[in-house]
Amino acid sequence: MGKKITIPFGSQHVALPEPIRFVFQTENEKIVDVDVDVGYVHRGIEKACMTKFKYMQVGYVVARVCGLCAISHTLAYVTAVERLMGIEVPKRALYLRILVSELDRIHSHLLAMGHLAEVAGYENLFMHTFRDRELVMELQELVTGNRIQFDYACIGGVNRDLTPEVEKELREKLKTLKEKVLWLKDVYENDYSIKYRWKGVGVITKEMAKELNVVGPPARASGLATDVRNEFDYLPFKEVGYRMVVRDEGDVYARNMVRAEETVNSIEMLFNVLDGMPEGDIKVNVKGLPEGESFVRIEAPRGELFYYVRGNKKMVLERLRIRVPTFANIPVMRELFVGMEYADVPAVVISFDPCLSCTAR
Amino acid sequence: MKVDEVKVPLREVRKAIKEFYNPDEWHFITVNGTDLGGKVELKWFFAKYGEKEVFKVFTAEAGYDDEIPTITYIIPSAWISEWELADLLGLNVEGAKKGLFLEPDSPQAPLRRG
Repeated sequence: MGKKITIPFGSQHVALPEPIRFVFQTENEKIVDVDVDVGYVHRGIEKACMTKFKYMQVGYVVARVCGLCAISHTLAYVTAVERLMGIEVPKRALYLRILVSELDRIHSHLLAMGHLAEVAGYENLFMHTFRDRELVMELQELVTGNRIQFDYACIGGVNRDLTPEVEKELREKLKTLKEKVLWLKDVYENDYSIKYRWKGVGVITKEMAKELNVVGPPARASGLATDVRNEFDYLPFKEVGYRMVVRDEGDVYARNMVRAEETVNSIEMLFNVLDGMPEGDIKVNVKGLPEGESFVRIEAPRGELFYYVRGNKKMVLERLRIRVPTFANIPVMRELFVGMEYADVPAVVISFDPCLSCTAR
Repeated sequence: MKVDEVKVPLREVRKAIKEFYNPDEWHFITVNGTDLGGKVELKWFFAKYGEKEVFKVFTAEAGYDDEIPTITYIIPSAWISEWELADLLGLNVEGAKKGLFLEPDSPQAPLRRG
């Protein structure tokens, strides 16, 4: 029996620039216990949305929950309110929402992949991935006007239409992006060092994924066929060629490959969105005030995002509840660490692509 | 959307969820608390795997002094949602530690009214 040592990982760590703290109890570099603290940046956004802001403003507030997932948060909120108020959104707006939410998924997945390469010590691949991610950032700016913190969706539709010039540039850059992503996917899939470093590490079995209600790419990488794009009708994904990516290894490598394959699928969907873009309005006028309750699930890049909204015919909501994917995945992360080598912690943590600004909203 | 909402007394929540829950079929989303002024409405949300918009929701009301039963015996991942209730609504949840989000010197039970 070795000497027990307590090692804090975070709240700021070179491998995880997010304010979460794991406190590991280790014995001979093996983790025997772990404690989690996620409360460093709690900003009381739910409370603010129930007291300070009118329901029409809340979509812009929840976009500030997280810069990366801003599209998903606003989309979840506006969808919940639209369902509550019986608003029918124009088809063109729904297609534009797919466009931005899949762009968001591509840039987020590329960030996760690059970050994972970085903590594996593969700086070169990290730089390649981030360089190519820049293309998506430019596309997001073209479509929404911002690189991050996009205020694109609004209650009743979207705030900006697609001009023919932007569409032309989108098509050209998406073509380049697809080539680059296919090359990256090939490297991540076949590089010997990567396979050696990630295969068999941090394995979540399918049973574990079910028992601990894992969401997003980590669930699909463990053979659990769950994707909100398939289980909730918030956007017409089936019309634009969505397919679910499932692998069964459950390790760091599989989680990364699920993201790589989903990125390719998202690019394919974007071409289909542009080809099939319906004509018409991009938003409808909203009348009345929200009354009653509504909840929605959205597949954010990191997994299932859940919003609960309750209104009582006032300008300010009675309750807004946000349950983000990282929050849902913390129990399995904690479970996974026990018995693991401490050296594997950075790779395993980053393979979940944790987002703490979402968690401590 | 197909939502099967079941209202149960607080003391029977665990039993009701135990009888219903099958991890192969149902995905536990979260438990949500809404302050109704003097009491709290709790909702446990479940979604069915692989099916379009099928939900099961258990609803119960609780007073501020009531002990909220934990369901971590049935659903091990539920601890994090329960700890959140203890922090943000200041509820007395069985086995929940405070401090997941809030520090001792921060405002306590911020989601309570008033």
